[in-house]
Amino acid sequence: MQETNISAKNFEQCQKCSLCETVCPVMANNPKYGGPKRSGPDGERYRLKNGIFFDDSLKYCLNCKRCEVACPSGVKIADLIQQARIDFGRQSPKLRDVMLASTDQMGPLASSFAPLVNFSLGLGAVKGIMDFTLGVDRRRTLPKYASETFVHWFKKNAAGAQDAFKKQISYFHGCYANYNYPQLGKDFVAVMNAFGIGVQLINNERCCGVAKIANGMIPAATRDARINVDAFAKEVKEGREIVTVSTTCTMTLLEEYPELLKVDNSVVREHIHLVEKFLYKGIVSGELKPVWKEGWKARAAYHCPCHQERLGWGIFTTELLRMIPGMELTELESNCCGIAGTYGFKKENFKVSQLIGRPLFDNIAEVKPEFVVCECETCKWQIEMSTGVPVKNPVSILAEALDLKKTASANL
Amino acid sequence: MPVKNEFDVIIIGGGITGAGTARDCAMRGLRVLLIERQDIATGATGRNHGLLHSGARYAVKDSESAEECIRENKILRHIAANCVEDTGGLFITLPEDAETGYGLDYQATFLEACNSAGIEARAISPREAIDMEPSVNPTLIGAVVVPDGSVDPFRLCSANVTDAVLHGAKVLAYTEFLDFIREGDTILGVKVLDTRSGEKAEYRAPVTVNAAGIWGHGVAEKAGVHIGMYPAKGALLVFGHRVNNVVINRCRKSADGDILVPGDSVTVIGTTSTKVPFEECDNMEVTPDEVRLLLREGCALCPSLSSTRILRAYAGVRPLVADDSDPTGRSISRGIVCLDHESRDGVKGFVSITGGKLMTYRLMAELATDAVCRKLGVSRSCTTAETPLPGSMDGRIESVSKRFEGKPTAGQKSAAGRQGDMVNKIIFETEADKQLICECENVTLAEIKYAVRELGVRNLQDLRRRTRVGMGTCQGTLCIRKAAKALAEALGQPELAPKLAADYLDERWKGMRAVGWGDTLREMEFMQRVYKYQKPYSYDEV
Amino acid sequence: MKFDVIIIGGGLAGMTAATALQEAGLKCAVIAEGLSLHNASRREFSTAGGTLLTGDRVTEGQFEDNRLLSVRTEKLEDVLLEADSFILATGKFFSKGIVADMDKVYEPLFGLDVEYEEDRSKWFDPSFTAPQKFLEFGVRTKDGCALKDGKPIVNLFPAGEILSGISSAQSDATEQIKKSAQDAVTAIRRK
Repeated sequence: MQETNISAKNFEQCQKCSLCETVCPVMANNPKYGGPKRSGPDGERYRLKNGIFFDDSLKYCLNCKRCEVACPSGVKIADLIQQARIDFGRQSPKLRDVMLASTDQMGPLASSFAPLVNFSLGLGAVKGIMDFTLGVDRRRTLPKYASETFVHWFKKNAAGAQDAFKKQISYFHGCYANYNYPQLGKDFVAVMNAFGIGVQLINNERCCGVAKIANGMIPAATRDARINVDAFAKEVKEGREIVTVSTTCTMTLLEEYPELLKVDNSVVREHIHLVEKFLYKGIVSGELKPVWKEGWKARAAYHCPCHQERLGWGIFTTELLRMIPGMELTELESNCCGIAGTYGFKKENFKVSQLIGRPLFDNIAEVKPEFVVCECETCKWQIEMSTGVPVKNPVSILAEALDLKKTASANL
Repeated sequence: MPVKNEFDVIIIGGGITGAGTARDCAMRGLRVLLIERQDIATGATGRNHGLLHSGARYAVKDSESAEECIRENKILRHIAANCVEDTGGLFITLPEDAETGYGLDYQATFLEACNSAGIEARAISPREAIDMEPSVNPTLIGAVVVPDGSVDPFRLCSANVTDAVLHGAKVLAYTEFLDFIREGDTILGVKVLDTRSGEKAEYRAPVTVNAAGIWGHGVAEKAGVHIGMYPAKGALLVFGHRVNNVVINRCRKSADGDILVPGDSVTVIGTTSTKVPFEECDNMEVTPDEVRLLLREGCALCPSLSSTRILRAYAGVRPLVADDSDPTGRSISRGIVCLDHESRDGVKGFVSITGGKLMTYRLMAELATDAVCRKLGVSRSCTTAETPLPGSMDGRIESVSKRFEGKPTAGQKSAAGRQGDMVNKIIFETEADKQLICECENVTLAEIKYAVRELGVRNLQDLRRRTRVGMGTCQGTLCIRKAAKALAEALGQPELAPKLAADYLDERWKGMRAVGWGDTLREMEFMQRVYKYQKPYSYDEV
Repeated sequence: MKFDVIIIGGGLAGMTAATALQEAGLKCAVIAEGLSLHNASRREFSTAGGTLLTGDRVTEGQFEDNRLLSVRTEKLEDVLLEADSFILATGKFFSKGIVADMDKVYEPLFGLDVEYEEDRSKWFDPSFTAPQKFLEFGVRTKDGCALKDGKPIVNLFPAGEILSGISSAQSDATEQIKKSAQDAVTAIRRK
């Protein structure tokens, strides 16, 4: 009796120490937002009494989960806020939100007309219309769409060679690698193949759903989550582990499915691996043998994205990158870049989004790296737009720094 | 010593009975003085479940009490809408109850007794009970739905006092009854002590009403009459959040810890019943055994309580009128006792109103006022059953919240819930007024100023009873300094802040000590750090 | 992952020890559940190349004889963190360095020996401002080492508020906490 205190998302363990408020990037920049403590555990006690206590300022939470990392009591503050938005946010999402959130629906459309879409996304007039009619901020550089999706490329150029490898994994590429930046997927395949691992696509992969959750499209996100869990289970049954590249997708698959969408992922949970963790463990155990390019050199700065911070796995990325002989790596101070997926794209959030990112941009300017290393795709857009410094995914860096041929022979 | 004789009736005791009597007397046109040695609602009134009984609990053994309850239940829903929450209630039967003779056969008896007392009760299946209240013990074998609810006793008492004052009554809190002014067999008035200034005074009236709850025993002794009071201590535990949204009772003979009531932002389990000496009534401590007992019984109603954080423990004393032959205090009727001491004891100008319960306070007040009126030869009839209390003209948070300009903030919505339609008097002028002082319970600076201006608040405990300041999960750790400063300034005595905070800390500490483990102990350590480490009682940094 | 010293807890005691050990050239990792007020020293530690695991917490330890070999954390799961020495600076009740339930007080990570008053009625003084006995509870040590079932764990050094007798709700706590951290550092460097 009374050995532990249990409550939904640990909200009752809150001691009101208010540390979460000191790390909340939104609270510091948007007076309309009550902050994590009040929106989360404080608000929850009153919402349990009466739904009228739901406050729509909760939409300003960008779900970076820094409050959760800061909490000394283990309260899942951001989850509480997202859950309240799901349970009480009655307004149906705007057209703009639906468009931004449907990364998998808009992607195929946009990719088919990529040159046109990219051209028009850059045009002042078009941005003006999006700003006015959709509420997508005109100052924002919009993500480009690739003319050939990763999946299309893979089927045409890489799929045939994969079965020859003894070891096999299944790759959850996510929307970003598929529609916006297929090069990341190509780098992933190159690195995996070099380590003697064949890559298979997941039959029936869906968007992880993070953008849909953030924009209140819960039924659609839940449907996708169920399909993904079933699809993963089939891959696992075939003996293949699931490897992911996006930190945000990974956090969604691991944490948000059971916590927010109530989709049971227990069958597949321990088979989902973020690529940096997967490679680090493989190399340290001696199972994977890297051979590095001679003379490769880089001076880079690592930005740990919020959701990586939440997963607590940034250490795998830094330890992995520090294995590269020519790598000079500085760790940037832990700060949110301000984009938070689709959040920063919204007109009402643009200013706050840039204010939130300021300390990080200043830090980058101070360190002056050749490039920034970051696992997150939306951080990449934000940092590149705001600082002009290129951002590279660790997988792409490995593809550059590894002597792929020699590595391949070492891993035969 | 000044002598005053400007009242028709003096009421001793600012609990719910005294407050209700003051209101009733004032509404019947009497000139009323109410004296209370502390703040209103500090005795048993503020130390119970806050259960709006349907009467079902008494239906089998005491149909008279049951009928009183359901009548008053319906009246309170109307006149005190802002103090009442219509949660509904369940009486559940557990498998082990069948072994002690309280199985489904008893449930049938219970149902019949409820319905014949006029309490709308119906049996539902265990599945339906779980759907209605998911936290209920899932092993239940039967359940009955009754019109229980929850009632905020502080708010109810405060509303009665406010209305009495609106009808011309004078209310003196922190004014202790010392003795009667007596001439032969007639009580002419009271001698009192202002406990804050130390000044003594006398007040005269043709009738004095003893509504001092358990302390009424001592008051009566001063008049030379004996009421055999039975002080029955009842301990309760407050859980950190609302675990249930429907009142859960055990469908069996009344026993310890068999009622679980959701009220405001918390859930309360109670109670125990033990006879205590009169000397202990002023300082009740909850014992470890009582905590264990309440938890064990609470878990039978709602298993998740075993791992729910307990914020604090408290105890009150029921003013039962004793039947010396029964040692437990349980089989005593909770009936109302209204004594005209002229006919009973030959003492003129003195009436005692006692027994009863929170639920029936209005009826008690009506009976006492009838007795007073008979003595004074006044023939106006009682209207308290029809006239809503201040704040309760429109008692719904949803509609009251709409009275604010623009979108209501959390602080405004919470104020609407607490103060009802009185929110019009809460003035949000500046941005600072909207600032939350207590973040757990959403209490704004404006609400604190309002409580000082309109509700007779003098210290943080008084403020807590009217606004819930410091009643949340942190028990004031985060807000006591801010609240003390805000209150001291509103009182026009900024230098009082450290003393206000120190007194309040001791009071919070008392309730937490009895349940000092787990997260509450963590909070206690944090509280010690915040208030003791570095500059103790320095308010510069606020 | 292998370190010279792993410091569990990133508060005043933990960061004081971590900074000193790092300056002495040892490879250190700090595991800190939640933020604390010692953010600046954490940043300094991390910039100087120390490994900082924030938002993570130790769930269990692997022992051999009277030594702690490695710890497992919630986030790193099967990637165990090994070290020659460990500092345990997880604080008192608030930061869950020690935990009280209805019946007992215990150290939750390794089940170390805790000194506390069994009679609960003596834990608290009714006056909030009076000294409070419960703030003195904490783990026992022998020659700076933690004890488990009365036997010392030779490479596990508690520091700061987790120690019995030290509490930050006392006025001279800062110095006491720092001193206990320095003692742990000295003990490790001597080895």
